[in-house]
Amino acid sequence: MDRLIEDTAERIFSDHVDKTLLDRAEASAGAAFPQALWDTVTATGLHLVGRPDSGTTMDDLFGLLKVAGRHAVPLPLAEVLLANAVMADYPESAGFTTIAVDGVAPWARAAERVVDPGGDLYLEFTVEPGENIAGEPRDRVVSERTSRVPLPDDLYELLALSRTALMAGALDRILAMAIAYATERQQFGRPISKFQAVQHSLAVLAGEVAAAGRACDGAIESLGATGFVNQVAAAKARVGEAAGVVAEIAHQVHGAFGFTYEHSLHHFTRRLWAWRDEYGRESEWHERLGRCVANGGADNVWDFITRGH
Amino acid sequence: MSVQLKFDPVGLPAEAEVLRADVRDFLAREWPSDYWPNSDFNEGHSPEFSRKLGARGWIGMTWPKRYGGGERSFFERYVVTEELLAAGAPVSAHWIADRQSGPLLLRFGTEHQRRRYLPGIAAGESYFSIGMSEPDSGSDLASVRTRAEKVAGGWVVNGAKIWTTDAHRNHHIIALVRTAPVSENRHAGLSQIVIDLHADGVTVRPIRNIAGGEDFNEVVFEDCFVPDDGLIGTPGNGWTQVTSELGYERSGPERFLSAFRVLVEFVRYVGSNPDRDAAALIGRLASHLMTLRKMSISVAGMLHNGASPAVESALVKSLGNDFEKQLPELVRLQTGHLPGDHPLQRSMEQTLLHSPSFTIRGGTREILRGVIARGLGLR
Repeated sequence: MDRLIEDTAERIFSDHVDKTLLDRAEASAGAAFPQALWDTVTATGLHLVGRPDSGTTMDDLFGLLKVAGRHAVPLPLAEVLLANAVMADYPESAGFTTIAVDGVAPWARAAERVVDPGGDLYLEFTVEPGENIAGEPRDRVVSERTSRVPLPDDLYELLALSRTALMAGALDRILAMAIAYATERQQFGRPISKFQAVQHSLAVLAGEVAAAGRACDGAIESLGATGFVNQVAAAKARVGEAAGVVAEIAHQVHGAFGFTYEHSLHHFTRRLWAWRDEYGRESEWHERLGRCVANGGADNVWDFITRGH
Repeated sequence: MSVQLKFDPVGLPAEAEVLRADVRDFLAREWPSDYWPNSDFNEGHSPEFSRKLGARGWIGMTWPKRYGGGERSFFERYVVTEELLAAGAPVSAHWIADRQSGPLLLRFGTEHQRRRYLPGIAAGESYFSIGMSEPDSGSDLASVRTRAEKVAGGWVVNGAKIWTTDAHRNHHIIALVRTAPVSENRHAGLSQIVIDLHADGVTVRPIRNIAGGEDFNEVVFEDCFVPDDGLIGTPGNGWTQVTSELGYERSGPERFLSAFRVLVEFVRYVGSNPDRDAAALIGRLASHLMTLRKMSISVAGMLHNGASPAVESALVKSLGNDFEKQLPELVRLQTGHLPGDHPLQRSMEQTLLHSPSFTIRGGTREILRGVIARGLGLR
């Protein structure tokens, strides 16, 4: 990914996203839309990353989502970026468009437009507020006036990859948080990181984070290639599996403090629990991938693993 | 963010992919008749097959040509090894010599040693054993007590090595021995020495494993004389050498493919249109395999660039070993009763019986987690 985009995103998210902003953006706290953050994102053009006319690539788009995941950015960036990228030829698309799958769209309450993978662009719509397990707005939308836009066939897979990238970012952050906590927290007269049982838990956590990172990057590398769908299936499933393991260990390492609302760990772990379910939980992608493998026959399993299709 | 485990986005270059078809073609033509495929690198000993691989230039692939090597890339070697393992070919005879004894001699050995040993290894004719563990020194490798004492013209070795795979049919062993008394620095005073397994003073006793096999051994040295040129590298440098050897040992495809044939037989068993649970299991295992393979290729890329990714290697081995242990466990729960001679049942049983060794050989799960924890800055 482009280094300038990564650095810009890292700086903006570090400046804006803190515990207070995350708390206030939660549905239970009234889902305050982080307007100042959004204004900065649009002013710098980050919301257009991935559009051919912005001089950036889809690779940059997913790289940006990894950075967003590291900060648990409380914006529907994945949907905005993908909508802007896939509707680049549509003149008015470069604003706040979210995406509805099965009638539910992140942050529809704040969006100007909604598009669904079938190609309906909602110009007017009603919103019934909802939320996911992380308190991120997931609103039910009903279209009242639509027009048609041409969309790529693999928009659902791109959405699944967006959650994969967000999770990969959040996983990196959780590893850093768990190591920092274990190194600072003292019990029995020494940091708990000095206990072998804790070290081994963190080693398992790190292994899952590394596997998730490589799986995610592998799918991003296959953008536009034959077998992209299978790479997304493998990545979404593998990263989703890692998310469950990592959230469990991270909470165990953080003890009771990590179970409090006051600690910021939950802003990341609850997102992992939400994102691993959005756009297909592991079982859905396992089955899709498994059918492709089985369909090729026993003697082609290895060929499938090496080529990805 | 302080922690950075590095798995670069490395893909296999085109010239490596070209080899893949050659290897598959070779396997189709040269498959030993009646040989039952097994993806465990430790199973399947066939000097005849190893010699054929040597003749094709597929052993010692990355070594200089003057030592019988092929001067090919790490990636090309990667393709050949993963194809052999996935097919379940009999590779155990030459595996250790190709993977670590040869590279060790190339890196630390004298010119004489290289010329003496490497061409035979590359030809698939000369086989090596690893002489690390001892009856009282397993994970605590630095505590080895086998000693080599300096005498005129060479060294006299006394002690015992254990869990020595194929010592009864290999030609040489590279033993980690103490050449100076234990001091405050317990990693000092160790050296590596290459010993002819048929020399006077060497006794090899087979040890039967739970699968009924007798491929590992105890090797006892009693006043075994080794000429001066048997010492590898510099005396006292053994610890550095032996740990560098482990980088090659830990990250390869043999660390996650041992159980692969079970998956192949499971796919054959459920057919091309499996039920939902079976399809999901196949997909889950495929998602792990695809990911582990990418991680392993990343490490191959780092080795290719001259790096020593010890922590990343430990991670690949740790994740890979857990995966290959889980594979038959998950498959059996999706499988109905089968007769003992059914290919899937046979694969599952063979793999299960060998599975305890997966997380022990080449560094136990516990040692690897320690290496990872150190890499994370926890110790």
